[in-house]
This record gives sequence, C-alpha cells and structure tokens, in this order.
Amino acid sequence: MSGLTAARGWRTARITPLSDLLSPGRITGRAIRLAVQVFLVVFLWRALYANVDIKAGLTEVMAVTYAVLAVLMVDTRAFARFGARDTVIQHMQSGTIVYWFLRPLAPQHYYFWRGVGEQAYGIAWAGAGCVACAVAGVLGPPASAGAAAAFGGTFLVGQSLLYYLALLTDLMCFWAIRNNSVVAILAFTQNLLSGAYAALWYFPEWFRFVSQLLPFQYTIGIPLSFYVGRIPVADFPAQLAAAAGWVAALAILSRVLWYKAVKLLAAQGG
Amino acid sequence: MREKWRAFAAAWKLALRIAGLSFRAELEYRANFVTNVIFGIAWQSATIVFATVILSSFPGMGGWSSHQVLLIVGMRTLSHGLYALIFDRNYLLEMLVQDGRLETFLLRPMRVYRQIQLAVFPTSAIGDLLVGVSIFTWAVSVSGLHWTPARIAYLASGVIGGMLMEAAMATTLASLLLRYPATMAWNAWIEDLAGTFGNYPLNIFPSPITSALTFVLPLAFIAYFPAAVLTRHTGGLNVPAAVAVAAPLICLGAYVGTRLLWNARLRRYTGVTG
Repeated sequence: MSGLTAARGWRTARITPLSDLLSPGRITGRAIRLAVQVFLVVFLWRALYANVDIKAGLTEVMAVTYAVLAVLMVDTRAFARFGARDTVIQHMQSGTIVYWFLRPLAPQHYYFWRGVGEQAYGIAWAGAGCVACAVAGVLGPPASAGAAAAFGGTFLVGQSLLYYLALLTDLMCFWAIRNNSVVAILAFTQNLLSGAYAALWYFPEWFRFVSQLLPFQYTIGIPLSFYVGRIPVADFPAQLAAAAGWVAALAILSRVLWYKAVKLLAAQGG
Repeated sequence: MREKWRAFAAAWKLALRIAGLSFRAELEYRANFVTNVIFGIAWQSATIVFATVILSSFPGMGGWSSHQVLLIVGMRTLSHGLYALIFDRNYLLEMLVQDGRLETFLLRPMRVYRQIQLAVFPTSAIGDLLVGVSIFTWAVSVSGLHWTPARIAYLASGVIGGMLMEAAMATTLASLLLRYPATMAWNAWIEDLAGTFGNYPLNIFPSPITSALTFVLPLAFIAYFPAAVLTRHTGGLNVPAAVAVAAPLICLGAYVGTRLLWNARLRRYTGVTG
C-alpha cells in the first residue's frame, strides 16, 4: 500500500469518529442510552437468577458479565450511516453510487476504510463501557489469563467477520432495488444466532447445532463464552481456525461480488 | 352533528383508499413485500424466542410465574403489532424534515399527522400482527385465568391502551423531530427498549428505575399494569391499584395529549427555507 493510499484511507476512516465527536449531543445521548441499556440488562439477569444458582453452565456472575459485554459489543455496530446518506442502498437509489467509482480511492477501499474507522471507534466505546462497568462492579473479570487471550483473539477475528457480513449485505444492493427488509432480517438473524439477545447456551440443542453451522456465533457468542469461562481455553485453536475459515470464505465471496457489482453498475441512465 | 359524522366517514374512506393504493404500490416489489412480512415475523419472533427460552429455563421472575410473564409478552406484542399497522410511520419525518418535503404535506387538505401515517403501507406490520396474535392467543390460553366478559373487555382495552401509549411516545418524539431530526436515534432506542424490557414485570428493577419506566418513559402502562390487574399482582406495584386499573384510560389521555403537543409544534414548524 502506497503512502498516498494510506493517507486517503486514514482520512476516510476518520469520517465517522470525527462527525460523532463534533456532535456533543449525539455522544451524550449515546452514552445515556448505553448506560440505561446496561443497567436494565444487569437487573433483568439478576432477577432471573434470583432463585437459581446455575443454569446452562452459567452462574449469575457469568450470565450478567456475558449480557453486559453483549450489549457493549452489539453497540460497536450502532453507527448507522443512514443519517449521513452514505449507505450503499441510499447511493444506489439516488444514483450517487457512481461517485464512489470516480474518486481517487477505489470503492472497495473506501468501504473498507469507512468500516475500519467505524469499528475502531465502536470498539473504543465498548472499551470505555467495559471500564465503567468494571468500576461499577457489574462486569466480572475474565475467567483466567488464557481466557482473556482467547477472548481477545476470537474478538478480533469476530470483528473481521462482522465487517464481511455487513459488506455482503451492502453488496446485495447492487442486485436488489429495495432490500431494506433483507438487511433488517440479516441483522436480526445475526443478533439471534450470535448470542447477542441471550447466550446460546440457554437455547435448545437443535438451535445450537444450527448456529454451529453458521458464522454468526463467532462474532459475539464464542468470544464471550471464552471470557466467562464457559468454553475451555483448550478449544481456542479450533474455534479460531473455524472463525478464520469463515473470514477467508466471506472475503473471497465479497471480492467476487465486488467484481460482478462493478460490471453491473448502471447509474443515472447508464 | 350529521355533517360532522359525514366528514368523519369521508375522511376514513379516503384514508382507507390511500392505504389500499400504498398496499398495491408495495406489491409492485413482490420479493421485498414477502421479505418485509418475514421481517415483521422475525423481529417479533426475537422477543418470543428470548422470552420463551428464558422463561422455560427459569421458574419466573419478580414473583410472577412464567405463564403470567407470558401474558405481558402476549399483550405487548399484540399492542405493538397494532401500533405498527396504524401509527409507526414517524421515522419518515427525519428525511421529510431534512429534505424540506414536509412542506408539501402542509399544503394538502388532510391532517399532516394522518398523511405521514398513510405515506407508506407498513408491510412488516402484517408479520408483527401475525406473531402478536399467535403469542397473545397462546398466552391467554395458558394463563389459567377465568375469562369473564368483564375480564375480556379489560384485556381488549389493555391491548388498545398499549397501542395508544406506544403511539403517544412516538408522537412526542415526532413533535421533537420537527425541530431536531437527530431525535430519530431516540425513537429507535425507545422501540428497542420497549421490545426488550416491556415484556417483563417491572418490579424486578430498583424503585427509581420502575418509577422512571412509569412516569418518564411509560412502558409500565403498555402491558405490565393491565396484566398485573388481570393476574392480581396489583399489590406489588409502584402505583396505587386504581392507577393500574385505569391504565387503558391513562393511555388514551396520553395519546390525546401528545396529539395536542404535535399540533402545537406543527404550528411553529419552520422548514429548511425558513
């Protein structure tokens, strides 16, 4: 990568954080919403465990820690570009997608750097949230040093996976005129099968089997299960390899789809 | 009086015609229409999956049995389905205000609020309603309550009240959207919050939070209070039992109040061109 490309990438990556940081009201609102969400989740899980010591292999502390981290991790994806009119579907519908192909930065690279900036900013928020929750005593420490390392490794691969899942959803816009509902269904499926709503350990056996065949659990469920100690650290290489395999497969698929999308593109009358 | 009734009937007839046209417009994109319905089902199913998995794993919460909690879930999902069908179009305001397109709404001979609700047909609401009716029926059938005519009437008014309270919250935010389009983020958050925490007995939270969810963000009125009245849990509420019993009426009052707020805000609306 040349220095010029890196500089352009850096400027693109800064768009979301800068636009957010220049709006104190948005940041305050976001912090309030996140704090309320975490607070309510903590009391919900404590109430559920009021008469139970252990369920699905999770104690109250493990369940609360999982739920708090899940809220923070889901929040890393909350930076909607919709308000800034910079989603692929908006550009496709208004015809402005063509400008992505006229800039010095290739559309694939533009999309990549925007995603990197958004996810890095989201992770910074999640990190700040973790510190605040740990200080407040609602976030337990990782089960062990090995568990922390396994969490870190699978979390990073999971973030790559999230990027590619979002990219594939956006690439669908080149073929579908209206795909809002498909996007929403995929977001829902992702949340459900990743274990964001509730740890997959509470779900029936068949449900966990289905989720094992799909990539979603590697984005939240697996990293958090390592963190709370629900999965032994010895499983780390196998889980990491499986997640990395999904990343590689989705990367190849998205590359093919980008290639086909470029060929297909016809905007503002062709 | 007859004139007023005629005008009312004509307004509804026109609204139904516009809704019919919007529905046909949605059918133009058949794949999107079908996926929209599936989306509605999937979205509400998330609530059900979470609630059923959790309630089957744990013996209940906050002194409520699993079946009693399920009644809250059933009432809320049905209320939400009705809300989604009739009211949930305020999200359009963000773009309408930013683009200056709301001005065209002001020039037409129909209430702006009604025009916004009729602007698109909410296909996903079909899915919302399907799931809402299913879980509501299930919850009522396993509730173990003896359904007298009075109880059935209260249940129905509780569901309609829940719909109106959700509409009241959305209308309040819509009033703010006229001036501050960024308020939209709060709209999505409140809907998410209601979908997640509106399904449980709110006495599981500390008293200040329960009070906040009653008097600031009135989620308690959507399903919790009516379900508490039906299942005789009024003793543990943070309000007198009479308030819980009157929940449907309070919801109606809240909706009327927020419509007045909307009218007042709309009169002060200044578009992008000043």
